[in-house]
Amino acid sequence: MMVPIFATLLLALATAWMGRQTIAIACLIACLLLSIGLFLFEVYSPDYGFRMPWIQTQLDVGAPPSPARSRA
Amino acid sequence: MTAAAPRTLAWINYGYLLLMMLVIAAILTAAMAMQYIGGELPCPLCLLQRVALFGVCFGIIATFRFGDSGRNTGLGLLFAIFLLVVSVRQSLLDIYPRPGHAYIGSAVFGIHMPVWCVLIALALLIAYSVKLAVLDSRDARAVPLVEFPALARAARAAGAYVVMLCAINLISVVVQCGLDACHTSGYRLLQSLH
Repeated sequence: MMVPIFATLLLALATAWMGRQTIAIACLIACLLLSIGLFLFEVYSPDYGFRMPWIQTQLDVGAPPSPARSRA
Repeated sequence: MTAAAPRTLAWINYGYLLLMMLVIAAILTAAMAMQYIGGELPCPLCLLQRVALFGVCFGIIATFRFGDSGRNTGLGLLFAIFLLVVSVRQSLLDIYPRPGHAYIGSAVFGIHMPVWCVLIALALLIAYSVKLAVLDSRDARAVPLVEFPALARAARAAGAYVVMLCAINLISVVVQCGLDACHTSGYRLLQSLH
């Protein structure tokens, strides 16, 4: 999927540089859509989905307040 | 506003955009130097960050070629936001080292590439905000780049350099990934030759 992304990007840049506005913008939008698709594919995990459980924190509500907190 | 003011403002605006594109081109060149000289293969999200940087360059090249418009600025901004989203997600993905996940490549000034990309994306968004807040005027927008021949030549050369960088990246991606998913284990096409 990366090759079509860079191919459309190169086409967009080259045609913009040569002055073909409509083709350039069409290629750039195609490149952006392909990039968004690949990004979602890359970050999706079969186990976690789009979540990131390794950075989630959970308050231990049952624990007694620490001395530092009780002084505050 | 005097008659000379729109021309001056337009010159500053085009010069500012050219400077932005040169900085992005320098970042992309540094990334490619680290890849080819340092032997650090880019991951798929790293390559998407390069795509986003090229997309911002597209907005600037389009401004030089077709005039300063909301559409060209908007396209550049869209890719700056895309860069921010991808780099923040990658930073969060690798922020907690665990098997199969750690920052790829060497750190530059103690900061790894995805974190640098967060800073670069923020810098680009700030740069665009300054452009829109300070340098944007209807009279200045009406002045085309061809009115400044030296700046136009520099912009054309910088644009050609960015197109060349993108072409090298395309060849590199073909060699690294083939037509399949990208991996950082090696250049797939070169491995298949051995």
